[in-house]
Amino acid sequence: MKQPARRWLPVALLLFAMSATATESSVTHLEDDNYERVPLNTVAPAYPAVARNERIEGDVQVCFNVNREGRPYRIAVRSSSNRVFEKPAIRAIRASRYQPLPKDRQVPAIKTCRTFRFRLESATAD
Amino acid sequence: MTTARLLPLLLLLGSLAHAQTPAGQSGAVAKTVVGPANADLADGAAALRIGDAEEGVRLTRRGLVTASGQRERVAGYSNLCAGLAMLERLEEALQACNRALQLDDEHWRSYSNRALVYLKQERYPEAERDISRGEALNPNARTLKTLRAMYRDAVDPVSPSIIIDDRRGAEANETTR
Repeated sequence: MKQPARRWLPVALLLFAMSATATESSVTHLEDDNYERVPLNTVAPAYPAVARNERIEGDVQVCFNVNREGRPYRIAVRSSSNRVFEKPAIRAIRASRYQPLPKDRQVPAIKTCRTFRFRLESATAD
Repeated sequence: MTTARLLPLLLLLGSLAHAQTPAGQSGAVAKTVVGPANADLADGAAALRIGDAEEGVRLTRRGLVTASGQRERVAGYSNLCAGLAMLERLEEALQACNRALQLDDEHWRSYSNRALVYLKQERYPEAERDISRGEALNPNARTLKTLRAMYRDAVDPVSPSIIIDDRRGAEANETTR
């Protein structure tokens, strides 16, 4: 009986060693002290693996409002040097928190802006 | 050095050979069955795909004995190279890749596999040369993009850094390294 033939394609060996997934980013937070809303939990974005692999650096400025409970809303990218950084930046803002306002305190609903600078520093090989 | 850091993380991904669905199964009526019918090469490729390098190498070697035509031989040696590289038998892997490329010097997968062997051997100029050749033949191959990233990590390691700038007037600037 005839066996079903199988088409056979060449094998490519893909070995994947993305140290990006294993490497934590170092984080620096620069801030003024005269903001109406005080950051409570500032989340840093993940450095996109694609950008890291391609050695791309860039900046994203994201603007947003903060509600009384300290949650960012109306989050929008104001400027960015490369779209690859936008989603991580938005996610980081969404996950960040500010100190809630006391019930008796009123502040104007002004937008806050935050700039994320994605940088790659030379690392000495071990 | 960097390769030592890479090796523990090695992970075999897709892009390996398919032992595809038999040609006659898709239609209601089976017609002519077409294919090289080298079951050993097909099974060897399947074994490599699931990470069974020993079995993959064994079957591929057996398949190469009965391989008919240059195309099968090229693919067989390329797969053998991949399997031997998985087993860290790098010199043998190199020979298999060289054999594949002697038969077909436009076989991007063989360049890709050989580049990996060179990376493991920390022979970075040779690795870069093969990655470039592979990219010229198949610019969109994900395997080669991964190899390119591995190469960059080996010769120009970087660590990511995020600056969160809440200062008023902080603007985004375009920066490409």
